[in-house]
Amino acid sequence: MSESTQLGSQLVDLCSVLLLLSCFAIVAQRRLSACVDLFALQSFFLATTAALVAFLTGHRHIYLAAALTVVIKVIVLPRILRKVIERLNVSRELVMNINIPAGLLICGGLVVVAFFITQPIIPLGYLLTRDSLALALAIILIGLFTMIARKKAVTQMVGFLVMENGVFLGTTAAAYGMPLIVELGVFFDVLVAGLIAGIYTHRLQDAFDSVDTSELTVLKE
Amino acid sequence: MWPVIVLLAGPVLAGLLSLVIQRPRLLHAVNFTTMLALALAETFLTGQVLAEGSVTTLGTLVYVDALSDFILIIITTIGLSCSLYMWSYMDEQVARGVIAPKHLGVFFFLFHMFLFAMVAATMANSLGVQWVAVEGTTLATTFLIAFFRRRESLEAGWKYLILCSVGIALALFGVVLTYYSSVRVLGDASSALNVTALIGVADRLDPNVLKLAFLFILVGYGTKVGLVPMHTWLPDAYTEAPAPVAAMLAGVLETVAVYTVLRSKALVDQALPPQFTGNLLLTFGFVSFVVASLFILLQHNYKRLFAYSSIEHMGLAMVGFGVGGLVGTFGGLFHLLNHALAKALAFFAAGNIHRRYDSLEIDQVRGLARSQPITAVATLVAGFALVGLPPFSPFVSELLVVSALSAQNFASDTMHVGRFVAVTVSDEMRSLGLVGVFLFFGVVLFGGMMARIGAMVWGAPQDKITRGEAWTVGHVPVLAMIVALLVLSVMIPESLRTLVTRAVHVIVVR
Repeated sequence: MSESTQLGSQLVDLCSVLLLLSCFAIVAQRRLSACVDLFALQSFFLATTAALVAFLTGHRHIYLAAALTVVIKVIVLPRILRKVIERLNVSRELVMNINIPAGLLICGGLVVVAFFITQPIIPLGYLLTRDSLALALAIILIGLFTMIARKKAVTQMVGFLVMENGVFLGTTAAAYGMPLIVELGVFFDVLVAGLIAGIYTHRLQDAFDSVDTSELTVLKE
Repeated sequence: MWPVIVLLAGPVLAGLLSLVIQRPRLLHAVNFTTMLALALAETFLTGQVLAEGSVTTLGTLVYVDALSDFILIIITTIGLSCSLYMWSYMDEQVARGVIAPKHLGVFFFLFHMFLFAMVAATMANSLGVQWVAVEGTTLATTFLIAFFRRRESLEAGWKYLILCSVGIALALFGVVLTYYSSVRVLGDASSALNVTALIGVADRLDPNVLKLAFLFILVGYGTKVGLVPMHTWLPDAYTEAPAPVAAMLAGVLETVAVYTVLRSKALVDQALPPQFTGNLLLTFGFVSFVVASLFILLQHNYKRLFAYSSIEHMGLAMVGFGVGGLVGTFGGLFHLLNHALAKALAFFAAGNIHRRYDSLEIDQVRGLARSQPITAVATLVAGFALVGLPPFSPFVSELLVVSALSAQNFASDTMHVGRFVAVTVSDEMRSLGLVGVFLFFGVVLFGGMMARIGAMVWGAPQDKITRGEAWTVGHVPVLAMIVALLVLSVMIPESLRTLVTRAVHVIVVR
């Protein structure tokens, strides 16, 4: 392995690890607005990783994906989520299904699981981005965990977006990005999903005076 | 080429038109004409597929083979009947003030976007585009489910959005993994997710990656199918959705979700022994069947009853695909069609009952036979069909699935003659035991369903309920479906049989 690839590979690894770290920060954060800020930061790291991969491999179309990430996930979606929070009467998540220390421990476990699952398939990957696939799966699992552990509609949405970031890191790492039409479609879906969730929080607020999804208990067996 | 364009552009155009048109009559007319055009285009497309085997068009974006064409038939048939049913259903909701007249246009817009997303998911050549379209169905339907804006429906819509988005994110990771394995073999990045490209090289893909990919795809799209334990959104969504939407969700969306799983199965089976995907589908299907039939015993809401019956039937179809072989797969595919017809009929009937009795509780509904004779017949027929009684077509497909299940070891061994020696008594006992359990829960289901439907149909209606049922345009699809369920139980039209047989060969690759 030449020295420059080695350096590049380490840089990509560094960025991916920053992504993972911001996941942990989200899990440890009670304030809703801080969660959104952390998500924006994570998306920024994601865009950096993608741009880095694009620079090192010469795959131009990844630049486009990185730019879209900045526009949609760093600027637009956090702005929508902040607007939603402004309208709400609560800014902190007081009751959680799982408390923060336990949550962090579980997330640590999820990272181990992710590395364990991806072990057999990692050797197939490109040298540059090998370890990012495991990190991507870890981020997806932590996003999933956030959605289960939190009760506020906003944090559930953040959890979903974190999962989406994990998948995106996976595509960049595993295959240097998906075909363009697929990537555009995915961005479109994520954007619309964010908008729809924003509208929902309005309507839920009006109907239930709360966006605490634990209040959503009318429908039961 | 033009049938494909009609199928894709029709719903988009109709959706945009619905946003500008104000008059309800015109809205319904546009809706019905579009559905009729789609059904016609689909007929032509079927002819083309039967003649040429498969159709690839619009560059390589669209790929329609026997399997996707069969699914398109289900989409257009149920869509057409829904458009007729909605004519009377939505008008009455507007007249009662449940929805504002200006919201009718939005309803049709969302409905057509939903339809477009399903058609696109079925026709997409690329597994990635297919994913985008399936996520599109989630986004389009969540507001359809919450359309009446009651607290319960908002809750159901939100639950549906969150759970299905999670599921679908997992499925996307599965698609990424598929791409990870295929791009190494194909090299060409832009077509490496295309079914047409993958078919030829699937046996060279890395088995370990594909195993992981299929797991993610099954869990992800399985959430949309409503397989236990990812089913929790489903009963709520079906209960709260307006009746025609519930019919589309149960009859069509589930079918499309199953189709996406089958597409991956066909690929993965080329690289791995079919037992891998088969056992997974069999397990998920079996658990769904058993759990749903137990939950049916607990229901006191007739829409929830039908919702759990959907989970059960999807489980049954999955068992068919899991057992595999020609018989099991044929049974599974045929069951998708039969279930779509029976379930749409059930939800149409439920919509009629709800409008008359103003309640979803089974206890509140008495004497359907006297208050709404046609709906009573429809409810009975749907009930009989859903528990698998002859002479209705689900009986035939269920029989195929069960016989494939009971003969599974023999079936697989006549295909791999080399392994014939390996058949042991314990193998036979295992499959017979499985069939025994299966039939036991079939009986449980029969009891649970029929007791409740009987309670609704017979007896004397409460005094405040008006008697007699006036003929409306909404009764046309109800009658058509009863006839279809009867006819399909004794004969399958030759062209349909050919189509399904070919679709079976798309799925069963070895």
